[in-house]
This record gives sequence, structure tokens and C-alpha cells, in this order.
Amino acid sequence: MTVTPSKAGSNAPAPQDLVTLTIDGIETSVPKGTLVIRAAEQIGVQIPRFCDHPLLAPVGACRQCLVEVAMPGPDGELRTMMGPPGRVKPQASCTLPVAEGMQVKTQLTSPIADKAQQGVMEQLLINHPLDCPVCDKGGECPLQNQAMTNGRGESRFQEVKRTFPKPINISAQVLLDRERCVLCARCTRFSEQVAGDPFIALVERGALQQVGIYEKEPYRSNFSGNVIQICPVGALTSADYRFRARPFDLVSTPSVAEHDSGGAAIRVDHRRGKVVRRLAWNDPEVNEEWITDKDRFAFHYANRPDRLTHPQVRDGETGELRPASWPEAFAVAARGLRAAGRVGVLTGGRLTREDAYGYAKFARVALGTNDIDFRSRPASAEEEQFLASRVAGRGLGVTYTDLERANAVVLLGLEPEEEAGTLFLRLRKAYRAGGTRIFAVAPFTSNGLRKLGATVVKAAPGEEVPAIEQLAHDGELALDGGGVILVGERLATVPGALSAVAVLASQTGARLAWVPRRAGDRGALDAGCLGSVLPGGRPLADAGARVDVGAVWGSTVPTVPGRDTDGILAAAAAGELGGLVVAGVDLDDLADPTAARAAVASAGFVVSLELRASAVTEHADVVFPVAPVAEKPGSFVSWEGRVRPFEKVLEGSNAVPDVRVLAGIADELGTPLGFQTIEAAAAELDEFASWDGERAADPTVAASPAAPAPAGSHRLATWKTMIGDGPMQDGDPAYHASGPTPTVLVSAATLESLGAAVGDQVELSTDTGTAVLAVGVADLADDVVWAPTSSGGVNLGRDLGAGAGSAVRLSLVPAAAPAVQEAM
Amino acid sequence: MPTLKEQFWDPVAGFGVTFRTMFRKVVTEQYPKEKKPTAPRFHGRHQLNRWPDGLEKCIGCELCAWACPADAIYVEGASNTEDARFSPGERYGRVYQINYLRCILCGLCIEACPTRALTMTNEYELADATREDLIYEKQDLLAPLLPGMEQPPHPMRLGNDDGDYYRGTFRRQDDETGEATQ
Amino acid sequence: MGIEEKLPSGVLLTTVEGVAGYFRKASFWPATFGLACCAIEMMTSGGPRYDLARYGMEVFRASPRQADLMIVAGRVSQKMAPVLRQIYDQMAEPKWVLAMGVCASSGGMFNNYAIVQGVDHVVPVDMYLPGCPPRPEMLIDAILKLHDQVQHTKLGVNRQREVLEQETQQLNALPTSEMKGLLR
Repeated sequence: MTVTPSKAGSNAPAPQDLVTLTIDGIETSVPKGTLVIRAAEQIGVQIPRFCDHPLLAPVGACRQCLVEVAMPGPDGELRTMMGPPGRVKPQASCTLPVAEGMQVKTQLTSPIADKAQQGVMEQLLINHPLDCPVCDKGGECPLQNQAMTNGRGESRFQEVKRTFPKPINISAQVLLDRERCVLCARCTRFSEQVAGDPFIALVERGALQQVGIYEKEPYRSNFSGNVIQICPVGALTSADYRFRARPFDLVSTPSVAEHDSGGAAIRVDHRRGKVVRRLAWNDPEVNEEWITDKDRFAFHYANRPDRLTHPQVRDGETGELRPASWPEAFAVAARGLRAAGRVGVLTGGRLTREDAYGYAKFARVALGTNDIDFRSRPASAEEEQFLASRVAGRGLGVTYTDLERANAVVLLGLEPEEEAGTLFLRLRKAYRAGGTRIFAVAPFTSNGLRKLGATVVKAAPGEEVPAIEQLAHDGELALDGGGVILVGERLATVPGALSAVAVLASQTGARLAWVPRRAGDRGALDAGCLGSVLPGGRPLADAGARVDVGAVWGSTVPTVPGRDTDGILAAAAAGELGGLVVAGVDLDDLADPTAARAAVASAGFVVSLELRASAVTEHADVVFPVAPVAEKPGSFVSWEGRVRPFEKVLEGSNAVPDVRVLAGIADELGTPLGFQTIEAAAAELDEFASWDGERAADPTVAASPAAPAPAGSHRLATWKTMIGDGPMQDGDPAYHASGPTPTVLVSAATLESLGAAVGDQVELSTDTGTAVLAVGVADLADDVVWAPTSSGGVNLGRDLGAGAGSAVRLSLVPAAAPAVQEAM
Repeated sequence: MPTLKEQFWDPVAGFGVTFRTMFRKVVTEQYPKEKKPTAPRFHGRHQLNRWPDGLEKCIGCELCAWACPADAIYVEGASNTEDARFSPGERYGRVYQINYLRCILCGLCIEACPTRALTMTNEYELADATREDLIYEKQDLLAPLLPGMEQPPHPMRLGNDDGDYYRGTFRRQDDETGEATQ
Repeated sequence: MGIEEKLPSGVLLTTVEGVAGYFRKASFWPATFGLACCAIEMMTSGGPRYDLARYGMEVFRASPRQADLMIVAGRVSQKMAPVLRQIYDQMAEPKWVLAMGVCASSGGMFNNYAIVQGVDHVVPVDMYLPGCPPRPEMLIDAILKLHDQVQHTKLGVNRQREVLEQETQQLNALPTSEMKGLLR
């Protein structure tokens, strides 16, 4: 992707800013400040280049884009830019802004430029190995292509090429072949400018110059995969894709990333029925050309050996799951659900908008209940009301582009680098452009917030409400209508916080956006997978809304407000609900995993729609295999409210989407859903016009002061890191190793009182259990510690029974192992 | 009206050819009793070669499959691990199949092979009764183990890394002492 | 077909099998079906140098009714397929088919709409001979392998037993969807 995208919607220049110049005899007018190389692109002249990238600052490192330039002098006479006396000096068009009256001759019209480009190409190829046949980039390599179009036919280089031992790991995932590198500095500029992780740099000088990392400091970044994609030669390759396929083997399909609510456009390459790699797709409105490593590398989950391939039914005699035919499984599920009486539905956050709509309708029409909740994480009734009043069915709200235009962005309960990587990159772009100030209410200044230059208003977990209330009067922030408030899903765990946010938004007029972690959350909310919300954001409490929905569905909508996730599980455990329909919920994500497991185990009848064997399928009475994202069409709704449709990638797959399974069960129940395909579900969902009636009121929950931690323990602040544990991240060890080490962060004083040094192992413990992680230091309050929710094999909810705000104890793990070795 | 010569002498003269030929060397080849060797570069059945220590030369790069004009070759590469090494270097061909019902024995795959793993033998007696039997798998194509070779997987015996193998600087087994010498 | 199919299992049947096989393979008349380059090699095989007459096969019958073996030599176009089938149907039982060369066997490098992807889509093939084209030795080798097959053809009850055994084997075989690569 080296050609500049046409950027629709980005600041269109006023006519007086246009500069007129001539390129290859063609007169053209471009905005002031445009680089010559881009002006040439606009008239269809492709100047070869390696270092130039439209989203990175110009550097002029590779010198491949040399052109002959003439400028009118003060007397109006054209003068060619000269080097030594009598010799034309070609100019690098990627660093040269246009000027009025400039005459540019590219390789197409100027023999001088052509010869200069051939010379540069020859020089670049001197030390470039001829291993194209075994190089991952061969076939999609800018160097290969441009050597063909703009290089000499034959090499004059007779000597021995410089070689390096190859490859070397610059991180667990990214491998470097130094002899292939043309020193364009794209990777180092990306990591420094875009991601803000300057862990790689050009080191040494002359012929030995190479991309390097700091000693003992691998290139650990959440965005490291992008450097592989923008490398114009095959110098950077991924351990995951290395030697797996060649570009001409692959079938590419545009798709949408399913790992976070960013809605990043990706390109999925598959071969022989398996996805082999994913690349960023260029969508200037959303992710530009960058994606997170999670979106890029976490796709092996669909090919794990524990993938479910056929329906299973629990055998009455043996109590074991046995394979069943689809009709049998439908019949057994329908019989069981009918016998169960009242049934709750848990949908989880991985569903597409269409599948979520299938569940929303299935719950109300086939099961006659509003007991449905998409939130498979700690949640609250306050959040439900907040979502109903401020988010559900609102359509496109704050957009990525709005963030760049906003004068201030406030991050509440949101750690963008870890929880919404695409959003983080755009915020960093806005911050670097200088127009946007970023504020955050957080327990400490995380690396991600530091990279955003954020002003951190520190608040211990549970104490966010006063901090949020203070923001309205913060003189430095001066939040007004030009500001944006981004609320993360974690704020739901703080009583009164979302109420305070709603007040803050109303008071200041700032625009509000809710940024969930999971890709399916916003879509599920819009589709009505929430107890008090019907499709399109219609409140259940409103009779008119119920009639509306009933008219589309051709049935009546149950009126009793539904329970939330915890309520459904508690009711199932207590026997109030006879059955559960569970889709893709990882019980470890819930507030109390132990109780959730017990509830699912004791529930009367459990139907599980899953991709892979899980804690739910263990206890389920009927298990249906469903299609992963790559094997079905659908759409996600990004946090902006933007619908992101995608097509089926693996055309040959017979895997069945959730909607088809639900339709099968509903048919057996005698209450057909009315659709069996994704397309039909989408068409029906689109019938719901946006709701223009009354909405639920903002939540008004009073803040309850957080209980201080008991003596000797610390309050826990926690969130999930991007590269962590989870069923959708399984299957690629290099990916897991490439993320930051899971670390407990404590204040310097706490570290000292523990007697520990950074990097030592510490034990976190509660009455329920213990976990051991490395320790690091951050500007936390002394009575607060931070730990990743689910990373490095430690899940705080499962192992400690702890969540944000819980009290945990800290102790140093004595470094026993080396001592024993010495003794021996 | 034919002449006397044409009427009487010419038919007999024809038998003269027959008679003369009876004393000539017979040209008929007595295949299969006597198999005449083919030309040394005859394009026969393929063979997957080995290094002198028994490791496979194939690195699973699939260039042969790409060169094949008839789509007769299927290769699936896999990574060598420290525990299971089949070839020097990073990758080896885990699945290797040639469909002799498609293969036109043109030899483009041989030209494409970067490691000389794939070569052709002079064997040509390939006919078989089923299609399946004519899809040769890796075990059918691999060269037999010669003395001194060891069935992979095993570690690299002849050098420290794949570079030693490819540059030919590996240690050669000394036949008498059995010790490795540079 | 005839009385030999009705014989009871036992010494008599195996003897008849042996005798019938010997007679059949020893008078093996090919029907010429030269379609392309392979036919040149096939003709060479019948000529003095390779001399199929050594096996009583020098007469390439132009009339199918007098032939036992159809050597399909060359690529079979879709247009030729019905003709080929008609010739095959006109041959008298017992009859055999030899697909000579990769084009006749599987379509070879001509994986396109014009060429039948293997003559076994049209007629049952008893022997596949790879090569492009196969040299005469390869054809002779294939014919001899076919001779061997003919010699050991089972009859009557033995044949039924063999068919049953093969069927069981095929039913228990690995499904092609589980197979790798080209076998799939």
C-alpha cells in the first residue's frame, strides 16, 4: 500500500490554497504543501519509492524517487536545480513540496531522472540478496516490482554481497532479515510516530547500517505487525506467516476485525481452506492503514483441534455428550427448552449484528422472555439504563474523524491502547497534530496515556465519580461542545459513574461515545440483546415501541423487564429459570466466574452455541457448532455506531451461523423466526427505522464512597491488556510472547515496602486464591495496585475472585529457584 | 502392356529384399527380456534426494508445484523443530505428492527446485490399474537410504547449520575411522 | 457371459479361469484409437523395432467387433467422447481399455473445458499409463501388466466374492474429504 488514498472528507482545501505546477508537461493544481510525489500520483504518474508512506512523515531515506526539477527564478526564467557546476541535481520528490510554476520531469520524460533512479536502484540492489524465490514478500514486493519497472536489466556488481546471519528476532513475532533491508526507515518511523513505541532504530553506519533493537529489549508493541506490512522489501517477516504461502497462492477477501469495537478494516488471505494471514486494509475513515496485533495475528482460534464440528446431545443414559444429527439436535433442544419453562439467554460479545438480532428475536418470540443480556463482563443496572438512554439505536455518533477535530477528548474508564487499539492510534494522531488535548480519569499514567500526552486525573478504583464531577469545572480542560467524552465499559462497575458522565455531558454539551471492548457489543445493543431494550434502541417500557416491534415480528412482545447477566445466572442457579441458551460466553470474563460455572452446571437445561469446547459446552445438554467470523457474512457495529459489513471469507466452509441454528430451534418450537439466513435477518433488522419516540431517562444513581482497603491490603485496579488470554487469542505462541509481559504495577513506596525490585515475582492473594506475576512500578496511589485482568495464564476473576476495587494482598515471592541451584 | 521384366523379374526381385534382410541384424528390441538403457538424461519418475546423512533436501518451498504446468505436484511445508528435524534449515516438505496421471515429465519442477531435492530417475515402468496408485506420496518418491544415511528425523550431522550444507562445507564421513573430518 | 460364469466354485472353476485367462491374453487384439501424439508411439510399438507381434498383437483392428483391447492414445475431446463410447460399446465382451498417456488418463496438462478429464469418465479403464507421450517400452510394459491382470481374472463365484471384497474395502476406506492434497 504505497499509493496515497484519496481522503474523502479530510480538510478540503480552499481554492486560494492551490498551487499550480507542471509535471511531465501536464499542468496541475494541488493544495499548498503537497509533496511532488503525491501531486504526480494525482495526474497518474507513478514515481518509484520505498521510504515514502502517506501516513508517515517524509524522510527522503531511499532516494529512489529522484526527479528533475526546474523552478522559475526571480526574473521568471526557469532554472533547473543544479548540483556541481554543469550537472543537473535530481531532487527527491517525496520530501519536496510543490511550488508555484515548478516544472517537474519524472522518469517518464527526463533521461536524467530515469538514469538517477536506475543508479539508486542498482545501489540498493548491490547488497540485496537474490532470495526472492524463498522470500515471503516475493510477488508483492515493491522492490521486486520497481526493479522491474525502473531498474537496469542486468547487474554490474561482480563482488561478494554483504551477508548477515538470518533471520533475527526483533520480537517474538517479528523477524528481521538484515541483508534484505534497504534502510527506508519506514518501520522505525512507524514505531516512533504512529505507535509511539520507539523500540527499533537504525543503528551502525555505512554498509553496516541496520535496523536494531536495544540490548535485551525486544520490540514489544501492540502494533508491531504493521511494520511487517509496510516494509517495502522482505526484511521484516512474521514468525506466524513466514514460509506459509506466497502472495499468488492466496485468495484475499476484505473483512472486518472481530477483536475490538474499532471496526478495523482488514484483508484476510486464505489458502487451502485456512486463513493464513491478515493484513490491514486501507479505510481512511476508520483505521487508516493500521491495525492492532490482535486483529492481525489472533485468527488461529478457528482452526484449533477443539473446534466443534457437529451438533452434540447429552445422552440420557451415560450423561456424556454424543454426536447427533442436526434435526435431532434441533428437536432435543426445542423439547428441552419447552420443558424448561422460563429460559434466559446469554449472548456474549462476539456476535455479529445479524446473529445478535437472531438472539434478540429468539428470546422474545420463541422463548417469550426479556431475559437476555449481551454483557459477559462485570455490569450493572445503571449501565443498562445509561445504554438505553444514551447509546442504543443512536446510529453514527462521534467518529474517528471527529476525534481529530475535537479540542479535547476525555477518557473515562478506558485505556485505549489496551482496550481499543484503533482508537488509540487515531487519538495519538490527533495528539501529534496538536489540536486535541487528551484527559483521562485513571488510577495511574499508563504507557498508553503517556503516548497520548494525556493529562491524567488520578482516581483510585471506586473513586472515579468525584473526579468526573470535577471535570465540569476543570479550567484547564474547559470542556465544551467541541469536546468528546469517551466512556469505557469498565465504568459500569463504579456505582454512580455513568450517571455522573451523563450529567457531565449535559452540563458541558460535550459529545459522548461509549467504547466497549468487544466487537459485538454495540451491534448486540442495537439489535436488542438487552433486557430493557428492543431492536433499534426502542425502550421496552414504552407501549408504542412494543407495538412497533410486534408489528414487524407479527407477535406480541413480553412486557416483563428482563434480568441482566448476573441476574439470569443467579435465577438459573436458584431454579427460577429452567433453562439457558448460551452463545460464546467465556465464563471467566464474568464478575464471578466460580458462581457462573456453578450456575451453568446446575441449570436445568442448557443449550450452547459455540465455536470450540468451553466451560459452557461441558455442562450443556445440547451443543451446536457455529461459524467463526471468517466463515459467515455479517456486520459489526463499531463504537462510533458505524455498521461494518463483511463477506464470508472461506467460501467452501459449511459452518452454520447462529441465526440458522436459532431458526432451526424456533421452527421446532413452533414459533418460526421468519428468517434463516444472515441476509434475511439483516433485511428484517433494517426494517426497524430509528426510534424517534421517548427514550429511557439518564441513570441517576448516587455515588457510594469506595470502602478504603483494609489494613495490609491494596485496592485493585485492573483491565484487560490487548494481548492476553482468551479463547479468541489461542493458537499462536509468538503472538502471546510479543505482547508486554504481564506485570503487577505498584507505587514506588509499595515496592520499597515489599523489598522488591522491578521484575521480581510477587504474589497477589485474596481469601479465594493466589496468583504470581512480575512486579513493576507506576505512579499509583500507595494503596492501589494494578494487574491485568486476564494475561499470562492468570485470570483475576477466576483465580482470585477479585475485580476492580477488590482488596488484594501483596507479598514478595522469594527467588527460591536460583538459591537451590547454588546449594546444589 | 507391362514388359517381360515387369511381369516376371520384379516380383521375384521383391523377395530379394526379403531374402537379403534375413541375413541382417534384427532391429527388434526384446523388451522386457532385454531392457535397453535409456539416455542418461531421460525424464523418468521423480526422486526426492537426501543429504549424505539422510536428511531430506526438500524444504517445502513449493516452487516445483508452481512450476508445474499440469498442476501435478502438491506440497505442504512444515517447520522443523529441535525435536523433529527432517531437513537442514527451517522448513521441510511434510506432504509431497506427484500425480503421475497429470505429470508430463517435462522437468520444469527439476529446474525450479532450489536445493536439488527433486531430480528425475530413468525409471519409466509406471503403468498401474488405479488412479490412486498413480499419486505417489513422499515415501514413494524419497530416495532410498544409502549406507551411512539415517532415517530422519535426526539432528544435523554434517554441519552446524543449513549454511554448511548448502555451501558444501560439511564434514565428510571418513570411511575407515568413521570419524567426522572437516 | 457364458457357461464359465455358471460353474460351481472349486477346482474346475480355477482351471477354467486359468485356461480362459491364458487364451484371452494370448489373443489380445487392440482396437486402434489414436487421437494425438501418443498414437505415434503406439504405432511405433506395432512396428518392427518394438514389435508387438511378439505378443500376437500386431494387428490393430480398425473394426471394434474384432478387438479386445482399446488403447486410447491421446487427449479425448468432449466431441470425441461419445464416439469413443460407441466404439467401446461395439466391442465384444470380454474387452479391456488402456488409457495411454496422461491426457487419456486424467486430462493431463489440458485441464480445460475442451478435454475429457480422464477417459474413465466415459469408459471403464483397466490400465493407466502415464507419460507424455509414453515411450513404446512403457506401452509394452502396460500391456504386459494388463496381460497379467487378464490372466488372473476371476470368473463366476470367485468373481462375485472378489467384487464383494473390493466393495467392503472401498466402504471402509478413508473418505476423500479426509485425504490430503491431490488425493482429495
